[in-house]
Amino acid sequence: MTPASWTQPVDDVGLVPFGSGLERGLDERSLCTRGIQLEILAGLGLPVGAGLTIPVPNVPGFTSPDRAKAAMNLLESISGRQISGTTDTGGLVLLRLSASAPVEAAGLPPDLVCLGLRRSIIPDGLGAKARSDLGSAWWKTAVFIAEHALGVPGEDLGTLDFDYPDVIERVEPFKRLCEEKGSSPFPSKRSEQVAAGAKAMIERWNSPRAARARKKQNLPPDLPLALHLETVVVTEHDDEGHGFAVSRDMASGHFAPNGAFHHGFRWSGERQPTGHPLSELPDGVEMLTGVLAELEGRLRSSVIVDFEYGPDGLALVGLEQMRRPNARVATSLAVDLAIRGITDEVEAVRSTSPVHVLELLHPQPKLTGDEIPFVSGLGASPGAAVGRIALDSEAAVEYMEAGEPALLVMSETTPGDLPGMMAAAGILTLNGGSASHAAVVARGMGRPAVCGASGMRIDREAGTVTAGEHVLNAGDILSIDGATGIAYVGELSIERPGPSPSLTTLLGWADDSRRLGVRANADTGVDATTAIDNGAEGIGLCRTEHQFLGDRLPLVRRVILSHDFDAEAAALAALADAQREDFRELLLAVGDRPVTVRLLDAPMHEFLPATAADAEDEHQARMLEHLHEENPMLGVRGVRLALMHEGLYPAQVEGLFNAWVDVVSEHDVRPELEVMVPLVSIPEELVMMLRLIRRVNQEVASRTGVLVPFKIGTMVETPRAALMADKLAQWAEFLSFGTNDLTQLTYGFSRDDVERRMLGTYLEKGLMTASPFAELDDQGVAVLMEYAVTKARSVRPDIKLGICGEHGGDPSSIAICEGLGLDYVSCSPQRIPLARLAAAHARVGLDEAGTGS
Amino acid sequence: MTDVVLANDERDALVTMVVRGMARGEATAEQQALADAGLILIKGPIMMPTPAGTTFVAEQLRLPDDAPERERIMATFHRFLPVNRQLRDLCTAWQVRPDGSVNDHADENYDADIRDRLDDIDDSVAPLLKRFTEDIPRMAGYRSQLTESLAKLDDGDDSWLASPLKDSYHTVWMHIHQELLLTIGMSRKEDEELEERLVSGAGA
Repeated sequence: MTPASWTQPVDDVGLVPFGSGLERGLDERSLCTRGIQLEILAGLGLPVGAGLTIPVPNVPGFTSPDRAKAAMNLLESISGRQISGTTDTGGLVLLRLSASAPVEAAGLPPDLVCLGLRRSIIPDGLGAKARSDLGSAWWKTAVFIAEHALGVPGEDLGTLDFDYPDVIERVEPFKRLCEEKGSSPFPSKRSEQVAAGAKAMIERWNSPRAARARKKQNLPPDLPLALHLETVVVTEHDDEGHGFAVSRDMASGHFAPNGAFHHGFRWSGERQPTGHPLSELPDGVEMLTGVLAELEGRLRSSVIVDFEYGPDGLALVGLEQMRRPNARVATSLAVDLAIRGITDEVEAVRSTSPVHVLELLHPQPKLTGDEIPFVSGLGASPGAAVGRIALDSEAAVEYMEAGEPALLVMSETTPGDLPGMMAAAGILTLNGGSASHAAVVARGMGRPAVCGASGMRIDREAGTVTAGEHVLNAGDILSIDGATGIAYVGELSIERPGPSPSLTTLLGWADDSRRLGVRANADTGVDATTAIDNGAEGIGLCRTEHQFLGDRLPLVRRVILSHDFDAEAAALAALADAQREDFRELLLAVGDRPVTVRLLDAPMHEFLPATAADAEDEHQARMLEHLHEENPMLGVRGVRLALMHEGLYPAQVEGLFNAWVDVVSEHDVRPELEVMVPLVSIPEELVMMLRLIRRVNQEVASRTGVLVPFKIGTMVETPRAALMADKLAQWAEFLSFGTNDLTQLTYGFSRDDVERRMLGTYLEKGLMTASPFAELDDQGVAVLMEYAVTKARSVRPDIKLGICGEHGGDPSSIAICEGLGLDYVSCSPQRIPLARLAAAHARVGLDEAGTGS
Repeated sequence: MTDVVLANDERDALVTMVVRGMARGEATAEQQALADAGLILIKGPIMMPTPAGTTFVAEQLRLPDDAPERERIMATFHRFLPVNRQLRDLCTAWQVRPDGSVNDHADENYDADIRDRLDDIDDSVAPLLKRFTEDIPRMAGYRSQLTESLAKLDDGDDSWLASPLKDSYHTVWMHIHQELLLTIGMSRKEDEELEERLVSGAGA
């Protein structure tokens, strides 16, 4: 349905009792959202509240008391109750008027919950609580009608509220005020009240306030309304009341009906979140559970139902679909619906958003069970924080100035504590709830907070915080988890969690749907283990630069700066031995999977002393001056450095091959080695390196008796390499697109400079819609890649093609890679779950577009 | 503390700082004088009142127990607290969605509903503010500050509802609340307990 059709007029269809609209062929254009919700509830075959919809075309005429009277008569016959009469249990029957639009809309008039009171007299027969609730409800209804239907100034109505605190005493002055300042007296006849209520709602919907709300939601200015008239029973009996039930637990996402209920009548238009828990409802929990399961299946969303209960049992009176569930609810629901056979695995994968995956893998405090809980309160602002206890703002500011994170611990906060709250990493308060000053301000500043930790005692004079047996001093380290509301003694470690059971299931289904392989960029055994735990099928990029840093830096410097052949050879041998250890650890973690090891790619200056003063000797100092580069990223780097120092790459592959022999013999695993030469732009660069690497391979074989199997390939980082892909493919068994450099060089962008200085302006002026370093450029860089893919496959049809830039973890870039027919994407270990889902989305999208195979 | 004598400008500057909790930027001449008198603390770009400064302002603003307007102010304050709760709940909803996730302001329907409800709160506080101002004239400026923050919010900058880093609707509201507490001489703890009693219908 398009926005334009919401405002199309539909024919006069009369009054529509709840549950009779669909069979008459009516839809949301005339019944609006609430009318449709009641149709759905009635369709379950269970009792729904007694009521009727005044459909869109009939609303303008409903401001006539005659029409209102007809609706009341119909409602009396539907409900079997006399309006303004009493029920068997002594409840007073009144009317509730509400409004809805053809689409979910904010800015609707409030429900008028107390229409039909004869001569506005609150009867004596009711108990004190019912009279009090009824009084408040009547006042709200009366003020709304007086202001919007009779035009009585709101300010005058507000004054009345002050002058007559008691509602019953306020009735007569209110009526006098309406006579004096209103267009007509406050209606005494019930049908006139209903008609005036309708008029007030229409006026309010046409007010600037409601127009602003529609504008904010991009809804048509002339969006129409339907009205809904229902009976309300004012009662005080414990066996009569109202409540709501939510289908899922928001924290776990699981199907676990929960909610709250209240005795007495539904006097507010809004849901009351606190009340008796659903489990205490004497009767009907089983029915609600069934209803929620049925509705979830039918609507394919998490749902909330409103109900009333009384001597005759439960009646459903409202329904809400959760339009934007959180990640846990969304993934759990998707899995449940597929398992129930309502959807299937592909639909479950399709309905899961990459944003949800990122949300589920957000860093959280990692609990090992050894933590010492200090005190618990309400998780008031999410996130975890660790810091030194500061008992006032001044202390927190002092810690900040000293560069130490502080945790502000106070009874409660006031505006006076703002400096401390800004300075602190997190906030812990003794008093207050999730809507306290501390909580609102902490969330506003993005600081984690736990509030209302009433189990602790703060002694500012002694400088201590005590909870149970633990006495902490100002300055001690404390941690808080703003999600669970627990504070811990000492430092909590914060890590990314593994996938939840629902997400694990979904990602398994995603794996079944995708064609693209997903590998990880991992340089160490630890990273590789994380990646494989997250579902990586191998390592698509192992950078070896870090193997040349730290205590190995002097060795590399000697290789680059030495004028002594023996010294260079000794340094290379030492490097080969050191790298053998690094590779062993990595290969062991990789197991039998493929692993692409990129030989040294860093610019030369990263290994050289910063100034001549740091050189080991005079010769090094002279060389340093000689080797200075104007633009190191485009200078002697990658294969170019290896050609200037021919011992470098052989030393690396010697370490790699030896490590492979080690893990095969010691651990019986056979990683599939792929040796990758970086920054090639001339095919002969690759050929020369291949010769060197094969020689080392033979040397290791003759020494160990094992001919280490390996594939050779190259990165495609320069436009020239992409253009020469067919020539490269004559030698290379795989190509990996290094799209960070390829993007820089295709645009001629220096990434750091451009991102820092220019990108914002370009995005603002609409020259770009996203950073080409975050989302692969489908107009330029991807076209170059497509050319390379076609050329390479024309020479070597089974050549393996992948991508190892940051784009490998970006959903829109992954979709481009799927379209190009690459074999795999490689991304950071943390983004592996996201890449698995995105690869499945890309495949499903292609299949649906009819271009997939 | 009663022996501290301040020029009017200095006194006003100190009251403003205690109500707001802090100030940022270069110290004015008045602020420097307050720092020299040990009433405020200047730490880099941040200025905040010292306990002595806070006590001084509390003594200056607090109405005597037998002040004739006290009863009227208290009666209005009792009406203010339930509205105060509504505002804090609304700010909470603005920051956190009902399922506990952070409101990323991508759901126009959700945000528009909260903005719409803010009008109810603003309508409720308007007559209260008018009454307070009759007895506490220095509070006259708050009405226009609230209106200004609403205008900026409606111009499309979401931070004007609840950001503590600017004079957002919530920030101005907190200043109003703080000034009332100083005037009445009520602690934050007593205030929270009273609000809870009023909201739960247990009476004052």
